[in-house]
Amino acid sequence: MSSTPDAVHMINVSKHFGGVRALDGVSFTVEPGEVHALLGENGAGKSTILKILRGVQPPTSGTIEIGGVPLTIYSPEASRAAGVAMAFQEMSLVPTLTVAQNVFLTREIKAGGLIDDKAAIAETRKLFAAMGVAIDPTRKVADIPAGHKQLTEIIKATSQPCRVLVLDEPTTALSQTEVDRLFDYVRQLRGKGVAIVYVSHRMDEIFRIADRATILRDGKHIVTAPMSEFTLDSMIAHIIGRRSRGFSDVTRETATLGEALLETRDLSGEQKPRAVNITLHRGEVVGVAGLLGSGRSSLARLICGIQPIVSGEIRIKGKPVAIAKPRDAIEAGIALVPEDRARQGFVAFHSVESNIGLPSLDRLSKATWVDRAKAAALAENSIKRLRIKTDSRKATVKTLSGGNAQKVVIAKWLATEPDVLILDEPTAGIDIGSKSEIVTLIRDLAKSGKAILVLSSELQELLAACDRILVMSDGRIVRDIARHELDDPANPDSIDALQHAESKLNKAMQEARGGAVQ
Amino acid sequence: MTDSAMPAHKAPSPIANWRDYIIYIGFVAIFIIFAATLGERGFLDPNNLLNIIRQTAIIAVVSVAMTFVLGTAEIDLSVGAVAGLASVATAMGIDHFGILGGIVCGLGTGAIVGAINGWLTTGIGIPSFLTTLAMMGIARGVAMWISATAAIPILDKSYASVFGGGNLGPVPSLLIWMVAFGIVGHVVLRRTTFGRRVLATGGNETSARYSGVDTVSIKFRVLMLSSVAAAVAGMLYAGRLHSGRFQFGEGDELSVIAAAVLGGTSLFGGAGTVVGSIMGALMIGLINNGLVLMGLEFSQQLIARGAIIIIAVAISQTKKR
Repeated sequence: MSSTPDAVHMINVSKHFGGVRALDGVSFTVEPGEVHALLGENGAGKSTILKILRGVQPPTSGTIEIGGVPLTIYSPEASRAAGVAMAFQEMSLVPTLTVAQNVFLTREIKAGGLIDDKAAIAETRKLFAAMGVAIDPTRKVADIPAGHKQLTEIIKATSQPCRVLVLDEPTTALSQTEVDRLFDYVRQLRGKGVAIVYVSHRMDEIFRIADRATILRDGKHIVTAPMSEFTLDSMIAHIIGRRSRGFSDVTRETATLGEALLETRDLSGEQKPRAVNITLHRGEVVGVAGLLGSGRSSLARLICGIQPIVSGEIRIKGKPVAIAKPRDAIEAGIALVPEDRARQGFVAFHSVESNIGLPSLDRLSKATWVDRAKAAALAENSIKRLRIKTDSRKATVKTLSGGNAQKVVIAKWLATEPDVLILDEPTAGIDIGSKSEIVTLIRDLAKSGKAILVLSSELQELLAACDRILVMSDGRIVRDIARHELDDPANPDSIDALQHAESKLNKAMQEARGGAVQ
Repeated sequence: MTDSAMPAHKAPSPIANWRDYIIYIGFVAIFIIFAATLGERGFLDPNNLLNIIRQTAIIAVVSVAMTFVLGTAEIDLSVGAVAGLASVATAMGIDHFGILGGIVCGLGTGAIVGAINGWLTTGIGIPSFLTTLAMMGIARGVAMWISATAAIPILDKSYASVFGGGNLGPVPSLLIWMVAFGIVGHVVLRRTTFGRRVLATGGNETSARYSGVDTVSIKFRVLMLSSVAAAVAGMLYAGRLHSGRFQFGEGDELSVIAAAVLGGTSLFGGAGTVVGSIMGALMIGLINNGLVLMGLEFSQQLIARGAIIIIAVAISQTKKR
């Protein structure tokens, strides 16, 4: 025990949401002058810890000390006053203000009662110089590249003295040299005694920058140890754990493949994806795994005509098709169940029926007159077929649970009778029961002769749903792994088998990142 | 997942959703209050009731189109000025080319302004609020300029009787125009693919675009529709008052938007009914009429009308929390 107090000292902290324990008696300590990695899957409790540190949510029980002083009030202002600075993953910058104005937002430098922009610009320039990157403080945030935004976010967080700096996925938009600069900067701060809590899914970076790591799983503390005591394998094993929950009720028969329905040839977008070649056959479910920023969702948006194709081509049943807008993709028989349900998937205050009918309006109508009997029948059939739980087809989608709302989105796309169905994060924010229902549905749809592409950050879901998994990194497809290659022939037990497959896939993804870094 | 976990099937009952019908409830309530208190001042006189319709039909016609514009989450502030311009164009057209030429001039004015509004909004990307705010000034200015700020008389009797001046038996032609617009508008909004796409565009533009709806074309078309309806309104003013004047329609944009919102149309898009908008227009007319019969001064009328509209909208909005 040293005499200096811990920078962060959380003792036995729990956080309950209704019956759900997001954090369950977690103790977590960060010393001054160390980089402490906080690891775990989505839903393991990382973001809850960050929210408590940031003062956004009070813990249900337990105590938190920052630099030896207990936190009594939970508010962003109180946290900031205690010395906690945070660089937000979700970008807290105002796009219409300049870089310098953003850095000094709410604590503007003043001269004679008026805001002194010149001083702010000079000060910001100094801060960036310390990091070793040249970002023009006078440019509007909207006009700078995503990587520069991310660095501005970090500069903003560290522009006033802090005891604890929280970095949440700070490198997703950064180039390799920018990552190097950032790490140098983090080491400078560490040298000054700042405690850094580092959250990331990128293990290669964790091994480079962190001194110690804490791993959470299902809201519980699993292990804290110096990085030298971990290997990539042991780390992944701790993160995944051994569990029985999940998709054990999903049966995955061997797929019978038909002709190629969708092919991409060197398909590239503005930044990502880059020269992607994929082939989807009738009857198969293909997964795309990749970390945040790998270009997964861009690939889907390109194929569906939402983002412009810069080069390469898309073929449907062997024939090249020009896809410039969503309508083209729908007519070519491609449907996208988008990533952000509420924003891209449905009209929340319109009925189940009108949402399901929207992409198929032309088919449901004769010379612009909507055939109401047909529209009603489509809605009723969809509700029955997908077992959508709703008061009636007239109920608004916002009254439905996440899982049922997602089924409405799937139903609306099935109604267009697509050959190719692309699902981006199909079970995000859905309870586990509905998750396996949706995965089962995906399997059934493939069996009925569709080609399906699933993009997901949840590996278990990919393993349960897919016949083949493509690993994406930095906009490219770097691995193509048949699902059975991930099985462990020596271990037929289903839980162990799933765990084995998950660690193998996880490792493939981490190695893919290493491979992309040249 | 047991059966008991399934929610019971229940049809949404009108009583539970009474706020959706606030415009009808309010209309009836105000009508009854006026009938009881202003009966002996001639409120219930058939002529007075027909007068209410004559005074509000033009607002109602435009509010039908405004329902579509607001339905896509756009707005059209130029309708009043376009009505004035179209009245002038129609009167000048009749003067030069006869009645058919006049009608073509009137409708053409609406189509041209609508195309410009639509192009500036969807092609250039100027928000419709600004496009149509600017167009309001331009249309009014053009109307003043080409008419040299003078009224242009319409001497053709048949034009006046068809467009707003005459009666069909006991029925004022303005009532027929209002009902015709109402029926067509209602059917188009409820029963055609265009109507569905209008509401989807305003309800969630991103989702509509992902669903293959050409939201740009939909917005262009509703702005076109609204200008043409405004032109028809101007032609009705011209018929009713036997002349074209640049002042016609002044301030109507606000009455029209108020009528649509009173009728349950959302300013944020995606929700609205044509029947509601027409009822909204009639309610405003009813209130104006009642306040006049009460003998209130114009200043008091303005205050009372504003207060009643705020109360009605407040009641209908409280559910949307």
